[in-house]
Amino acid sequence: MEQIISPIALYLICALGAGGIALALPRRSGSKAFEYGGGLLVAVALGGAALALGLKASDAGNPMPNLFFYPFALIGIGASVRMITHKRPVYSALYFIMTIIASCGMYILLSAEFMAFALIIIYAGAILITYLFVIMLATQAPTGDGDDDLDDVDAVAREPMLASAIGFVLIGLITAAMFGGIGELPEPKMTQAQAADSVLAHLPKKVDKILDREGLLEDGWRVSRDHETGLAMIDVDARTIQIELVEGDSVSATRTLGAQDWPEALAADNIDRLGFNLMNDHPVMIELAGIILLMAMLGATVLARKHTELEEALKAAQARKLGTMFHDDEPQATGGQA
Amino acid sequence: MAQLAFPTEMSSSVLAPYLFVSAAMFCIGLIGFLTRKNMIIMFLCTELMFQAAGLALIAFGRQHLESDGQTFVIFVLCVAAAEAAMALALVVLLFRHRESLSASAWKELNG
Repeated sequence: MEQIISPIALYLICALGAGGIALALPRRSGSKAFEYGGGLLVAVALGGAALALGLKASDAGNPMPNLFFYPFALIGIGASVRMITHKRPVYSALYFIMTIIASCGMYILLSAEFMAFALIIIYAGAILITYLFVIMLATQAPTGDGDDDLDDVDAVAREPMLASAIGFVLIGLITAAMFGGIGELPEPKMTQAQAADSVLAHLPKKVDKILDREGLLEDGWRVSRDHETGLAMIDVDARTIQIELVEGDSVSATRTLGAQDWPEALAADNIDRLGFNLMNDHPVMIELAGIILLMAMLGATVLARKHTELEEALKAAQARKLGTMFHDDEPQATGGQA
Repeated sequence: MAQLAFPTEMSSSVLAPYLFVSAAMFCIGLIGFLTRKNMIIMFLCTELMFQAAGLALIAFGRQHLESDGQTFVIFVLCVAAAEAAMALALVVLLFRHRESLSASAWKELNG
């Protein structure tokens, strides 16, 4: 942990943040000054964290994160603080969308492009809209703009001091534990080039397409496939590709493209690797996810259903009405009844 | 079309700030869950904690140059969606009974 951040700085940052959030949490008697003061304390804590981490890294000559990381982190944490301190639920939900978008920015910096966009579509687009619907459905419109009109549910926090203290003791523990173990992380199992292209052999059609686009394949040629596994015959380390000429069902000629012909566009991108990982390594998880979603849909439908008690007479009247409608529309089908 | 370069190895001094953000977001979600009385906000705070876990997963996956972290985030998303559907149905149900979103309206569940 010493090489990442000095423990005293970390605990100081945690104490500042805890004080800030405890001040900013909603309370009945507090004025706006409490909120601004709390926000200021949290901002100072964040700046201190960035400074402490950056100073340690630059002292040791270690690389720093991309410059764009800092605004995204600031927006992410700031919006999540605002989300738990805002008195009006709709604003809380909107601040949460802001947190999501900021963490999408961090995903892109971590080269997880697909997940970043999926997160915006699923979280900000679907889940949060459902939340907004329920908030608007279940919350009575406040009578005025002032905070005095708000219900106690939203205007008063429960045990702000205690909860902030617990939360920031937890931050201190989590970060201390993670930074303590960070030096012992194992090296990546594959080198960079192997990790990048190990998926390519599994995608012969994609390799065909890219080679064709680069003009390396004449008519009838394609990448050789292994007879048993169907893998493309690509040697990632030596950068060679074996191609073959197919006539009818048989292979009439084979040739090897050397490393000098390896096209620059031939690389597995984020979606290729993610999709391959998902389908190849976690097939059962997909089935389980499907079951979870189906059960949640059924459960939500059953839970939120409105139980209406109908009188027996009303039921009978409705049934009769339905019967006559049926009778009028399709005389053949229900001819025997009535 | 320019291809995105495959990520290079990431130093642990770059990983650390992401983990700090993730821990901070998780604990802010926890504080919100403990302090707020509105049930919808409480569930929103659990979503924030999911989000923080996802960020840590992706950062560690990036460190190991593997896609497993991103795959797990897909499943985290899936569980979050299921949780949101169930939680909101529950909130609507409870609201119909007590006409209040306050968690303390259900104090007798303390046991």
